[in-house]
Amino acid sequence: MTKIPVHLDINGQHHELQLEPRVTLLDALRERLGLTGTKKGCDHGQCGACTVHMDGERVLACLTLAAQAEGRAITTIEGLAREGELHPVQAAFLDQDAFQCGYCTPGQIMSAVACIREGHAGSDEEIREYMAGNLCRCGAYPHIVAAVRQAAQEFAS
Amino acid sequence: MTVHNIRVGESKRGDASDGTLAESVGGRLSRVDGPAKITGAARYAVEQQLEGLAHAVLVESTIASGKVRAIDAATAEASPGVLRVLTPDTIISLRTASDWFGTPPPDKPYCPLARDITFCGQHVAAVVAETFEQAVAAAALVKVSYDETPSIVDLDDGKAGDGIPIDAMTKEWGDAPAAFAAAPVRICAAYNTPREYQAPMEPHGLIARWEGEHLTVWEPSQWLDGMARTYAEWFAVPFGNVRLVSPYIGGGFGSKALALSHGAVAARAAKMLGRPVKLVMTRPQTFTGYGGRAATRQTVTIGTDREGVIQSIVHRGVNETSVDGMWVEPLGSVTSIMYATPNFSSKQNVVRVNSVVPGAMRAPGENPSAFGIESAIDELAYEIGIDPLEIRLKNYAEQDPHTRKAWSTRQLREAFAAGAERFGWARRSPKPRSMRDGNQLIGWGVAAGTYPVRRAYGEAVVRILADGSVEVESSSIDMGQGTYTILAQTAAETVGVRADDVVVKLGDSRFARAGVAGGSRLAGVMTGAVSKAATSALDQLVGLAISDPRSPFHALQANTLVVANGRIGSPRGDGPDVSIAELLKSVGRDRIEATGDTMPANSTAEDRYKNYTTIAMALPHTEGDYSRYSWCAHFIEVRVDEDFGTVRVSRVVSALDSGRLYNPKLAESQWKGGIIMGIGQALLEEGIMDRRHGRIVNNNLADYLVPTNADIPDIEVISVGIPDPHSSALGGKGVGELGIVGVAPAIANAVFHATGKRVRDLPITLEKLI
Repeated sequence: MTKIPVHLDINGQHHELQLEPRVTLLDALRERLGLTGTKKGCDHGQCGACTVHMDGERVLACLTLAAQAEGRAITTIEGLAREGELHPVQAAFLDQDAFQCGYCTPGQIMSAVACIREGHAGSDEEIREYMAGNLCRCGAYPHIVAAVRQAAQEFAS
Repeated sequence: MTVHNIRVGESKRGDASDGTLAESVGGRLSRVDGPAKITGAARYAVEQQLEGLAHAVLVESTIASGKVRAIDAATAEASPGVLRVLTPDTIISLRTASDWFGTPPPDKPYCPLARDITFCGQHVAAVVAETFEQAVAAAALVKVSYDETPSIVDLDDGKAGDGIPIDAMTKEWGDAPAAFAAAPVRICAAYNTPREYQAPMEPHGLIARWEGEHLTVWEPSQWLDGMARTYAEWFAVPFGNVRLVSPYIGGGFGSKALALSHGAVAARAAKMLGRPVKLVMTRPQTFTGYGGRAATRQTVTIGTDREGVIQSIVHRGVNETSVDGMWVEPLGSVTSIMYATPNFSSKQNVVRVNSVVPGAMRAPGENPSAFGIESAIDELAYEIGIDPLEIRLKNYAEQDPHTRKAWSTRQLREAFAAGAERFGWARRSPKPRSMRDGNQLIGWGVAAGTYPVRRAYGEAVVRILADGSVEVESSSIDMGQGTYTILAQTAAETVGVRADDVVVKLGDSRFARAGVAGGSRLAGVMTGAVSKAATSALDQLVGLAISDPRSPFHALQANTLVVANGRIGSPRGDGPDVSIAELLKSVGRDRIEATGDTMPANSTAEDRYKNYTTIAMALPHTEGDYSRYSWCAHFIEVRVDEDFGTVRVSRVVSALDSGRLYNPKLAESQWKGGIIMGIGQALLEEGIMDRRHGRIVNNNLADYLVPTNADIPDIEVISVGIPDPHSSALGGKGVGELGIVGVAPAIANAVFHATGKRVRDLPITLEKLI
């Protein structure tokens, strides 16, 4: 399959890649760019572990071709902390012990940041609903809700 | 020599309400591996970036029984980027490895790609290519033809039969059938659980790299040394030639303890190609690449007097196993110990079906066993007309009814009391269908759970380094239980430094050996080993400070010194006060190193190898004078939509006895995780078989339903444990598996209370209620 040039803007850094058009954004991140913070749990858009931001909105990197991301600003878990300071959602996840194995965590955190930005963190019920696309088999859900609530309150104050 | 508690400044991470310092054992220290996990810096096994990596993708059987007639790999081989297509004919065979008991294997070759098909989804070929995309595309071009033979799909298959009796599972005392026949109150019911899957978020996979006769495997693993042994035996290389690396594990739940055939394929491919090979299962492949929880069937009959005092329990169980493998899910494990009974009989069969061999999934045995007995005891409460909590207390086992030994600790009565109080159980209206909120029927259910305290010998290395920091090394692992954190707390408290100054290194088989992280044993084993090694390191440090002529303490003529907060001083506070780093510098040492292990003193090298690479030396939980178990009681509220039969769990209060908690913050997370997996088991999870082809039709995360955030209410957990000196060095019992045991029956009991319908067949889906 012929490779095409793909220009990706990831966490404010520009990357030029030669990729087959069938390469997903997820595999481009993990296999070509060494950005393994974004996880592959199902490769079919069922688990949410690969959630990243594209122009500020949450998308599933496994259902996005790398070529579709051209010209869009991609943010991954590696780009969330600024100058060594944890993002408030990251800090809240640590505080609330909102993870165990850590594998779904980058996707949960990227989803949570967007969930708050979307205005969908107004109540525990709303957080549960709008975080329901990110599976966690360790069962950290109640603590994830607590972390999102904590971070949302921090943003509001 | 004595060690005083560390004194640290106010911790940024908060202290426990009982005043325990966050950094001490028992404190609520946040995960020390947390920052790596929340920033994406934690590199899981298959995320290692290696030069020259080739990618392998598996091809699996599409029939459940028969033989591979031919594999046409020509098109796949000609596909761009393809390096090799491996089939049963082209892969070089391995040697058969011993099982996890270390039983010497038959001297015959082992081919990890199958010619003889015994289940649908068996690996029959693998494609190795330059890129993942090329391997995926070419794998779809491999054409496999079969000679198909009839298969047995599952336990409900008419051809399945009664199976094979497993005599080792038989437990009997008194005359249970006669006592049952004579009992004035009798109940008898059958309880079923379906095939369930661990479904860790990180799929199974590995990277294998050979350098000469040395193999490095980056693979998520609950047991590095056990898996290294298997790889070494497969390839007939010395154990020391195999290195397993597994720094973080994206969930295991029992499924990542053993080396599996996909690992053999990848390691063989790497050897054949002379390149590192990465192979990761697709999500659908994870449903057949290893076994989930076996489907089970149980019959529980209980005879009581008119007041509900149990006279007899007769229990019969069946679980499925594979055509050529053996898995026994011990179904009588909770039945035989939860309640006092003068007469008891439990027997179990296994039935062979065309499935991958089932495996360990969170509380294998205890989990389905509790579904049977804890549902049956609830049925009995209604039969007699007393409260479900009262019947449990009325038949409370004051000692282990099976072994007749004293419990090491059993805070189950306390768990019932604390849970009931917090839940408000006293306000329960006893009659089914008597509580509602609009069109929602409300039900309150209770059930108990238990899990044995599995014990083993452990080993650890502790170093005190020149800068005063402490390093802990072990080939044990952290898959989210908190091993990194509790071992940092243990070393910090024992040596007398801050937890921040401890670096815990796990997940590399080059480190001090470790047995399996399974059966909820790792925390107890490893805190014991680290505490021993750290004590020995501290003794060396204090010994040097007292005896070395260059030490500032030499002139003090002290018998002992105190190390606290990284500084050394005399117990009375007179004399010098120096940092560990300053002391080491003064005596010209760049480190102190101690290995601690809890093996018997006369252990041979062979004993040690056996201890860490097999489960043959595990210590029975009923050894000596005591019977050791963790205990719990779950109180659960459900809301059932009267029109649609949908069940929602709306409230959970669980009180648990895991003995002393090494870190309550992390233990609570694990308990809640177990409870949530239990909610999935009760309401959602079921492997559905296609009866024509023996295929699992819901082999993905959209169709095999695991709980989502929207399915789970807030959950309250209460610790009622007390330190148990008979269970572990520091007084803890098991945490990880306990939480799930008893959740499904508590929900089934709540559903009965809400609806008046007794569902004895998990999961409790709406069609069973309307």
